Amino acid sequence: MVMLDIKNVTTGYTEKNPVLKNLNVSMDEGDFIGIVGPNGSGKSTLINCITGILEPWKGSVKIKNETLTDLSRKEIARNVAVVPQDTYINFPYSVKEIILMGRSPYLGRLENYDKKDHEIAEREMKTTETYRFRKRGINELSGGEIQRVIVARALTQDPELLLLDEATSHLDIGHKKEVMDTIKKKNEKEGLSVISVHHNLSLAARYCEKILLLDEGKEHAFGTPEEVLTNSHLRAVYGIEAEVHEHPKDGSLYVSPVDEQVSSKSKEKTVHVICGGGSTNTLLKDLIEKGYEVTAGVLNVMDSDLEKADFLDIKTITEAPFSSITEESYEKNLELIQDADILIMTDFPVGEGNKKNIEVLEECVRDYSKEVILIDPENIADRDYTYDDMASKVYYEISEKKNVRGVDSTKKVFSVLQN
Amino acid sequence: MSHPLKPHFKKSLVIFGTLTFITVVISLSLGSVSIPSKTILDILFSRVPVIGGLFPSHPGPESTIILKIRLPRILLGLIAGVSLSVSGSSMQGVFKNPMASPFILGVSAGGAFGAAVGIFFDIPWYLLPLIAFIFGMGTMLTVFFLGRVRGRTHVSTLLLAGLAMNFLMTALTSLILFYSDPAERMSIVAWTWGSLSGTVWNDIWISLPVMVIGTGAVYAYARDLNVIQTGETSAKQLGIEVEKTKMIQLITSSLLAAVVISFTGVIGFVGLIIPHASRLLVGPDHKKLIPISALLGGSFLVMCDAVSRVSGNIWVGVITGLFGAPFFIYLLIRNRGDTGW
Repeated sequence: MVMLDIKNVTTGYTEKNPVLKNLNVSMDEGDFIGIVGPNGSGKSTLINCITGILEPWKGSVKIKNETLTDLSRKEIARNVAVVPQDTYINFPYSVKEIILMGRSPYLGRLENYDKKDHEIAEREMKTTETYRFRKRGINELSGGEIQRVIVARALTQDPELLLLDEATSHLDIGHKKEVMDTIKKKNEKEGLSVISVHHNLSLAARYCEKILLLDEGKEHAFGTPEEVLTNSHLRAVYGIEAEVHEHPKDGSLYVSPVDEQVSSKSKEKTVHVICGGGSTNTLLKDLIEKGYEVTAGVLNVMDSDLEKADFLDIKTITEAPFSSITEESYEKNLELIQDADILIMTDFPVGEGNKKNIEVLEECVRDYSKEVILIDPENIADRDYTYDDMASKVYYEISEKKNVRGVDSTKKVFSVLQN
Repeated sequence: MSHPLKPHFKKSLVIFGTLTFITVVISLSLGSVSIPSKTILDILFSRVPVIGGLFPSHPGPESTIILKIRLPRILLGLIAGVSLSVSGSSMQGVFKNPMASPFILGVSAGGAFGAAVGIFFDIPWYLLPLIAFIFGMGTMLTVFFLGRVRGRTHVSTLLLAGLAMNFLMTALTSLILFYSDPAERMSIVAWTWGSLSGTVWNDIWISLPVMVIGTGAVYAYARDLNVIQTGETSAKQLGIEVEKTKMIQLITSSLLAAVVISFTGVIGFVGLIIPHASRLLVGPDHKKLIPISALLGGSFLVMCDAVSRVSGNIWVGVITGLFGAPFFIYLLIRNRGDTGW
């Protein structure tokens, strides 16, 4: 029997900005389906759609042949339960009180939990191994324990369809397995239908019979893990090169990203970056990933840009912490610049201490026909703290040169580099 | 820090029920004319239908003092204590925030400003509760309106709007104080600090039904309030009509506070600390919290008013503050670093 039928659904949170676009999903009773996709691809929106929190603009969502918009919240809750990523509870409810809340959809306004409600709650406490701390306050538990309590509550709801919205992403590897195994057992033994949203592709591959790969609110691929988790699909959706391996022990798939450097073409070119104070953002990493040879200088020890450069094994010219650039470092820096094909000046603040990093620019532009990229040259005056406005003057002088180009931000560097 | 994991709910209910009754009887015996408890019980029970005939009715000045002067005042204290505490418990639940109280929505500050306006323009005294109520509810509705974004109540916006309106109303009240003559000033101060003196039975006939219906409505949605504590999206997924529950709770709790304040003036702290103390006793389950808050709040305010009466009618809000604030600080120190707060 068809458990869930999503037909041509388009929906979102703000008008004219749909998150899900013309999506079709269908699952049978007892299926275990995984939903994967990059951030913003519509995974959580889909969950909200299936629980009726978000109504479709177009199309329909049916649970066991009943249109969701015709059902009351309680009726939906008797069929569908959700385990969210995390749960914050301000007041010290006991574990048992929280788990019993799973019976809410079955109770009238003034009704109290009866014997049957307590029995169901107790049964699920035992399946999730939360029974032994049922009397403790929820605020005394660890993150993993709380998540098991929330799973117990969802199971106490006695649903036909269980939705896991990245339910294990904050758990350590042991607890991840514990929670997923418990649910897998429910699926296999009692035919509970499960839809599980995952960030972790390997986890999805391990537990789900079928995987739906979402990309920008649309289905990119749907099928068995072997069919969906392929190199070409992952490259198209995530923009990464990944290797898909078979686990030697149980044959399940696992995915590991490959260093992109190998696949790059522009390997030969060398870029020297003059920076400081964290002004590189992700520029150094991005350059390396695109296959450029990168050098940097002059950086003071303890500068956050130096830390990034060290982490990326970038050759740098350094100066002692909080001290002015010496003639010696200046010369070394100039040498590196001479060796480089491209010079990038980030939008670091200039003071008396590091004004030599600007002086060197004057020299380069004058003596060498090198490609120079200035980041945010328009606002140089705002970050020029030299006594004689030296940086502003230099930028003004060189701005007319043919080999000098300006871009708004570090992100825009690549649009210039590519041509 | 351990929590009441086996909340002794039924025991607490009996203990605080008895405590409330004893507090009322003792409070009735206090005053310039001393009347023994036995006589008080006789007078009270002789007025109860069916069994009334079994008790001597003590006709004379004692009966008049008890039934016409002390009883209405003490009952209004009881009703005010119950209403403010239930209101506070409900608001803390709706806001998922233990710092919420009836004052947060500006009901009290608005009511006090309304009374100040009334006193300044010499309107008849019996219209003061009406104007206080209108201003209190008006302020609350403004806060409510400001806190609603695209049909949903945003807690943080609501709290900030409440804060702003509280400041505005308090400033306006002070402005009126500045331009008032000394006699008016005393009346306005009595409104901003609360007073139960001069209560008549008619006050009871209005505030009692509001208390009963309001507490009933809050209690009817107690379980929904519990589920909402675990997150509004989760509550919806558990079948709770979250927006409806929040609306009913907020309107009811504002009404409870506004009606009481319109008779007594602003009585601070009760709506904040009683829910806290009750939570320590029976845990956060609103099904238990609301009845215990009601009993504890009722007896607390009757006790505070008794102190006020024997010490020359000091404004009762001063007494609740003097007892309440140190107790609150004690709870704060005891529970420091505990997420239960």
